[in-house]
Amino acid sequence: MAHGNNAKSLPADLSAPAFVDIWRTRALIAGVAFLVVAVILGFLSGDHWNHFLRGWLHGFVTCFGFCFGGMLLLMTQYLSGGKWGYIIQRPLEAMTRTWPLVFLMFLPVGIFGASMGRLYIWAKYADWSTALKNHLITNEQAHAIRWKALMLNTKAFWIATIVCFTIFALYIHLLNKWSLQRDADAGREGNVTYWRVKFENLSGFGVLLYSGLLFLLVIYWVMSLDPTWYSTVYGFQFLVGQAYQVLPLAILTLMALSKAEPIKSTFRLIEQHDMGKLCFAFVMLNMYLAFGAFLIIWSGNSPEEIPWYLDRIRGGWGVVATLDVIFHWLLPFTLLLSSDLKRIQSRLAVVCYIMIFARIWDVFWLIEPNFRDAARNLHLSVGILEYIAVPGALIAFWMAAYFAELRKRPVIATNDPHLAEILEQEYVHA
Amino acid sequence: MPLPEGTYGLLAEFDTPTHLVQAASAAYSSGYRRLDCYSPYPLEAAAAAIGFHRDEVSLVTLIGGLLGLAAMFGLETWISLWAYPLNIAGRPYFSWPAFVIPAYEWTILYAGLSAAFCMLALNGLPKLYHPVFNAPNFRNGATTDKFFLCLEATDPKFDVVETRSFLEAHAPVSIVEVEY
Repeated sequence: MAHGNNAKSLPADLSAPAFVDIWRTRALIAGVAFLVVAVILGFLSGDHWNHFLRGWLHGFVTCFGFCFGGMLLLMTQYLSGGKWGYIIQRPLEAMTRTWPLVFLMFLPVGIFGASMGRLYIWAKYADWSTALKNHLITNEQAHAIRWKALMLNTKAFWIATIVCFTIFALYIHLLNKWSLQRDADAGREGNVTYWRVKFENLSGFGVLLYSGLLFLLVIYWVMSLDPTWYSTVYGFQFLVGQAYQVLPLAILTLMALSKAEPIKSTFRLIEQHDMGKLCFAFVMLNMYLAFGAFLIIWSGNSPEEIPWYLDRIRGGWGVVATLDVIFHWLLPFTLLLSSDLKRIQSRLAVVCYIMIFARIWDVFWLIEPNFRDAARNLHLSVGILEYIAVPGALIAFWMAAYFAELRKRPVIATNDPHLAEILEQEYVHA
Repeated sequence: MPLPEGTYGLLAEFDTPTHLVQAASAAYSSGYRRLDCYSPYPLEAAAAAIGFHRDEVSLVTLIGGLLGLAAMFGLETWISLWAYPLNIAGRPYFSWPAFVIPAYEWTILYAGLSAAFCMLALNGLPKLYHPVFNAPNFRNGATTDKFFLCLEATDPKFDVVETRSFLEAHAPVSIVEVEY
């Protein structure tokens, strides 16, 4: 309730400010620059564009995380409710609408990586017995490729990806369409409950379905790079990792938009603090899963599982792994402990950048040691620089698409009971 | 220590939180500092009106957490290396990955207990006697539907007559002079 007449009113124009177009132009320029560098590195590295493809897979997985992680968080906030979710609804919707670009990014992974067998050894050596005779693969790899052929084959890879993208696209279409319809429906008796229940019913099953399908997709896209290894918590780690990268992006978006109306009136310190706390929760959950998986495999010390970690710790990779823990957990955890920091925009922004960077770093650590030339052997080559150039280009192009989508709709939904609370004065705590 | 005697303060009763907050912020801005609001549920606006200040709970929590971390990690290291070393499938005695989870749990335990007890201590709890309960309307209403503002006599600006007229200007339901 308001103790006095200091509630703000919503400005008439709710669309994103014009400077978002400048961001989009800058993102496009950065994308082109990164792509040029990536192509030059591709010629220079002389590794038949292998690292270019690996970098492309990295960039694709990261952009997939932004786009569909946005869908995941959007559905989660419809289920949980709360003002933090209400104010990031429209930025999250803008993220989801970039899905056609993300699908285009998948095509090189599917065509070159799987169909031509340039990334996945189960695709390259589908004829495992000949490959084993020629000593191209180990006994363990041959056994795994044979045993998992029912799932790990090129046809299944394409079918699974296309089916999942189709289902996700349907969800994105509904979430975006209904959101506008709800705003147009304001004033009708009982419409708030009607839309709340409608969104809850869509999202409740949607979150479950998305989690299940994501498990399948990351097994195909990332985990199957090493077909001998398996982990049941792998999908969970990606699920949490997506929230881990999307929430900071949503916070940064709001901070940047809050320099002008309408977000200036709607982005309060209270919600910023709440989202900072939620970041802290994701930092903990992410570390819990990552460390839990490591501890179980470390304790088991079984030759079927432990090589995956040894590939990622020995031969210089220990430095990357240690930095991964520092970026992913130690830095954001210790910084977010402070409640003051979560209320100071510039400092919380630094934590958000660290979190997004940590996620990108982590995906690099997950992908590169799968390949024989890199496992237990971290070495600087021209090729490894593709992990900066190609993901840089893909993320920049994705950002450009995101900013373009952000401009297309009002950046705040209006038909929500939370709106009145958002516009109230807030009380500053020590 | 001799028991304090005389007037503890003037207790004004309000029907709505809005009236309480208006009176409280007026009292704060006219110079009263020893004052308190009492409401049946948390009222952020009232806390802000009487000058919410920082406290040391977060620092004590951090120290408690670090102590818990050091205590458990030290205990595990001492047991595994010196007190009772066991060879478990050839793993090193100092197997730090296995130490992390108990150490983490003691961090949470110590931090949580430190926060709770520090909060109680800084609030002056447990307190078996508080003068405002001498007012019958406080006993009946403070935890159900009434909102109270108490201007305390230890405030240098406090004067029974002046303070009463100050409070009356804010149209309270009643004003009670509370004795120690």
